[in-house]
Amino acid sequence: MEDGTGPDLRATLERRRALAQWVAREIMPHEPRIRAWFVKRRIAHDVIDELVQDAYCRVVMLETVDHIECAHAYFFSICRNLLARRLKRQQIAPFDAISEIESYRDTGTPTPEEQVATRLASERVRALLADLPERCRRIVELRKIEGWSQREIADHLGITEKAVEKQVWVGVRAIRSGWDAIDREPEAAGDNRRVV
Amino acid sequence: MSDRDQAADWVARMDSGNWSEADEAALQTWLAADPRRQGLLLQTQAAWMLPDSVREPDVVETPEPANDTRGKWMRRGVLGGMVAASVAAFVTVRTGFSRDAEFVTRVGEIRRVPLDDGSIMTINSGSELKVSLSPRAREIQLLQGEAWFDVAKDAERPFIVASGPVRAKAVGTAFSVRKRDEGVEVLVTEGVVETWSDQDASRRLTVVAGERALIKEWALVHYREGDNTPVDRALAWRNGMIDLNGTTLREAAEEFNRYNQRQIVISDPGIAGEQFDGLFKLDDPMGFAQTLKVTLPVAIDTSDPSTIRISRSTEADSQK
Repeated sequence: MEDGTGPDLRATLERRRALAQWVAREIMPHEPRIRAWFVKRRIAHDVIDELVQDAYCRVVMLETVDHIECAHAYFFSICRNLLARRLKRQQIAPFDAISEIESYRDTGTPTPEEQVATRLASERVRALLADLPERCRRIVELRKIEGWSQREIADHLGITEKAVEKQVWVGVRAIRSGWDAIDREPEAAGDNRRVV
Repeated sequence: MSDRDQAADWVARMDSGNWSEADEAALQTWLAADPRRQGLLLQTQAAWMLPDSVREPDVVETPEPANDTRGKWMRRGVLGGMVAASVAAFVTVRTGFSRDAEFVTRVGEIRRVPLDDGSIMTINSGSELKVSLSPRAREIQLLQGEAWFDVAKDAERPFIVASGPVRAKAVGTAFSVRKRDEGVEVLVTEGVVETWSDQDASRRLTVVAGERALIKEWALVHYREGDNTPVDRALAWRNGMIDLNGTTLREAAEEFNRYNQRQIVISDPGIAGEQFDGLFKLDDPMGFAQTLKVTLPVAIDTSDPSTIRISRSTEADSQK
């Protein structure tokens, strides 16, 4: 790294980045579908947010993800277990509801929804990126498509590295909230549904 | 700053290439304050990784061996079957996230791009432009730098290059547009180009082959052949050359500096006005500087790797 930091720091950063990339590719496209499963069981949106975030906390604690065969199935099962524990603690759900959640088994064969999840997510992200504010979008493109470093972008545009970092921050926030909206689309549709 | 905003801040900072031990320590402190933050950080960083998975372009740029030495189309993550075989003759790359095709070149990079309509665009060093071809119109926005256009004839769709308020319109011609500080310069190599400024669309200037025009917001300055530099010399960059004819050292240095990271600096204003001729490779400023020594009384200082300093040589220098 340019400022001469140790190899340990670089390794830490790289591990963090690789994990984030694994999540983006293997888990995030399936989030809407996973969330919908909880919505169907009448779990409140903010509770689902917490379950998902807690599940990601579990993922962070993993030493390695190499042993995980199907990332989204794994993630889904963490979310279900967390929900079961929460319900037991709160003692409000009927016993059979909890056992249904605990005993749920993924079929193992990808459903049609699972198969298209990645392509669908790609299309949605692309639309999201097209809607970024102009300046931010150009910088995100130079970073992500052209593969330029933040410093190279700063040189090319004649602005400071701090200014580029700021636009990356704007981009990260926008992508995050854009994705949240995509995540919740099935929920918005399902709000009118009666108890299943 | 909210947790979400702070998480985004950490991600942007890790992405900058300037992450230090101090930053890592500060991050650990922030994470320790609330167990949920670990998950939040992962989600946020993963969001930043999402664009990586949508990088595949819709179509592939025809690989041009001559100038495209870096194989940028490979770096864009063009994958699998799309690459080698099935490349159509004239295809536009949708490289950006926007709905138009966008092109950016770095300092020293010259790229030749065929467009969907059969036109060919050669983009000069340090440029940025957007291409929007629709059934009714062909529009290019030049945001920075310079590009030369060999426009395919299409009477149904005028080809219009816009740079700021300036417009240059062609039906079937070859011309270049360059954004300069003092205005937009249009050079025509073939055919006829109509130019005007948005500010007063009724005043139009017709530029024909061999002529150049400089369009500012409120003025149109027209040079005919014979004034300053003839058009093909000015476009020698398309062949990787700089063609000088009676050009001052100052102007020549400016040209080289457009294409190279290593900048030519003229330390003595007195020699900046010296004139000379020659055809030079634009990516070889050192070669240019060496040639100078033969014909002009100059000394060259190359001790700083980022510059080539040219100054008037003294008696002592010329004995070396």
